[in-house]
Amino acid sequence: MNATPGQAPVKSVMPKWVRGPQDFVGGIALMAIALFALWASSDLQGMRGFSFGAGTAPRMFGFLLLGLGAAVTAVGVLSEGTHLAKYHWRGPLFVSLAILSFAFTIRPMGMIFAAMTSFMISACGTPETRWMETLIVGACLTAFCALLFPYALGLPLQMLPTFLIR
Amino acid sequence: MGDIFSNLGLGFGVVFQLVQWTPAFLGGASIPIPVNILLCLIGALVGTLVGVLPGIGTIATVAMLLPITFGLPPVGALIMLAGIYYGAQYGGSTTSILVNIPGEAGSVVTALDGFQMAKQGRAGPALAIAAIGSFFAGCVATVLIAVLGAPLTKLALAFGPAEYFSLMVLGLIFAVVLAKGSVLKAIAMIVLGLLLSMVGSDIETGASRMAFNIPELADGLGFATVAMGLFGFAEIIRNLDAGGESDRELVQQKVTGLMPTRKDMIDSTPAILRGTVLGSILGILPGGGAVIASFAAYTLEKKISKNPQRFGRGAIEGVAAPESANNAAAQTSFIPLLTLGIPPNAVMALMVGAMTIHGIVPGPQVMQKQPELVWGMIASMWVGNLMLLVINLPLVGIWVRLLRVPYRLMFPSIVIFCAIGIYSVNNAPVDVILAGAFGLVGYWLIKHDFEPAPLLLGMVLGPLMEENLRRALLISRGDWSVFLTRPLSAVLMAIAAALLVLAILPSLRKKRDEVFVESEN
Repeated sequence: MNATPGQAPVKSVMPKWVRGPQDFVGGIALMAIALFALWASSDLQGMRGFSFGAGTAPRMFGFLLLGLGAAVTAVGVLSEGTHLAKYHWRGPLFVSLAILSFAFTIRPMGMIFAAMTSFMISACGTPETRWMETLIVGACLTAFCALLFPYALGLPLQMLPTFLIR
Repeated sequence: MGDIFSNLGLGFGVVFQLVQWTPAFLGGASIPIPVNILLCLIGALVGTLVGVLPGIGTIATVAMLLPITFGLPPVGALIMLAGIYYGAQYGGSTTSILVNIPGEAGSVVTALDGFQMAKQGRAGPALAIAAIGSFFAGCVATVLIAVLGAPLTKLALAFGPAEYFSLMVLGLIFAVVLAKGSVLKAIAMIVLGLLLSMVGSDIETGASRMAFNIPELADGLGFATVAMGLFGFAEIIRNLDAGGESDRELVQQKVTGLMPTRKDMIDSTPAILRGTVLGSILGILPGGGAVIASFAAYTLEKKISKNPQRFGRGAIEGVAAPESANNAAAQTSFIPLLTLGIPPNAVMALMVGAMTIHGIVPGPQVMQKQPELVWGMIASMWVGNLMLLVINLPLVGIWVRLLRVPYRLMFPSIVIFCAIGIYSVNNAPVDVILAGAFGLVGYWLIKHDFEPAPLLLGMVLGPLMEENLRRALLISRGDWSVFLTRPLSAVLMAIAAALLVLAILPSLRKKRDEVFVESEN
């Protein structure tokens, strides 16, 4: 289990006593989420007599997650486990950018613009993209969406940029 | 008995209902169209498509199509969404057998023997047996839902808040036991889901919880938003990681001789029966579903086979059993949802979302107050299975050709569809950003071997659990022993505890891991 065959030997940034870096980091992240949730719900009311307050359940689950996160971390320290997986930047970056661009352009620019731009941005997510082909498919898909959503499904989506409508 | 027939009769009446359509261009003349049948067909076809295409799963599709069902009548919407789920089970088998690419997690094991059969030139019989097995399982599951529906509903009416809470604990424990990988990590994911479900306004006091004064969060994290992020966007990002196309070498052989031989039939009949029974049981259990059912059925066949070395080399039982099992499970998982109002897996959780959109609160009262809805959906499953059996085999060529669409064109399209889908739920751009954020969270989870499915289940059950827990404790005046002193609740809690102990025991853990390792070797 120590070194998965086929995996490039990664220079470990983890200290020696961490035998399962994947679980170690995962557990710590869970604990961080739990602490954040506990902090975020600290202003809520707790138990009142025998009835729950708004903060009771979040705190309950927060402490539970804190414990579980600690346990996962402990597993990462105590038993041999998998190394940290390699992250790639290209896919996550461009897909996120595409999503953000859609979210920010849909209101002011309408669906046709938003769909087309974010199609092109997300296509950057892989080095294999051929531009001509992508442009044609993107245009066809945008046209298809422009017909499908408002006409076939009756969803009130704004198609054109706001300044054109005015 | 008579009840069942009259109920099914009501259901079929709904399915075959004709709606007068009066388009303006006909000038007042109206055409009767069977709307529900058409919706069932569309659902089944979309499901098959999703099942065929790798890289897009059932959960993401149902989430994507939720807004589409806004404009439909509730019965039609549910019929269509159900069709997607069982249609995907059919579609997944086709590509598993023909090109060794399971389009759906539920048919991963089918590829083991199915593709070997195809290599030996027996793709036809493999496809036919998969379809027949699925159809048989679908029929049995439909009857099972009809038979179990009414009594379970009666049982559900005897449930108080304490029992509901215990039942949900049991469901979550089942989800842990049936999940892949570490038990500890699965529990952690469930608790994370429960915690996420707390975001928003408190149901009783209305206090804003962990919402940081963001107005869009006041109503809580949208379930469809999170599902789309974790299963749609995260999946895409991960696939892009894999580094380009794994060249899909298509074995474009002619599928000749669809009919299985007499020996095939004799070999596969018991496997279909066993797969159906196992699948039906695993489907009803909370936390179960199509994926685990197919794995378990394959393992069972291999265990009881007289010569297990045939498996992996084109044994027809290895196709028949998992295919029957995943279809049976896909359908029986509707039972807990329809009778108790508790979704046993993530797809059913989305069905809850669909029902809520249409103002239906899932639970025992639905079956009594809106019988046409429940029975219409049940009857549509049988009709849908029949349609899939008839249309699927002739369409095999088209489905396989679809696999030629390269991923570099497919993934931007999925991104756009997901984005439009989420946006149109609330017309809120913030939802799209949230889904994107959950996409990155999902990517991180996959990288750290955390399963996103239990998280989603926790998120759905969270509010229900909290509400029932609070209510139970209020009724018992703060006495926590209420969960153990009420007999029904005590039994459920005992089962949950026993299961958890079993799951941690090393011997059973080994068995459980075996089931999953099967597919990777």
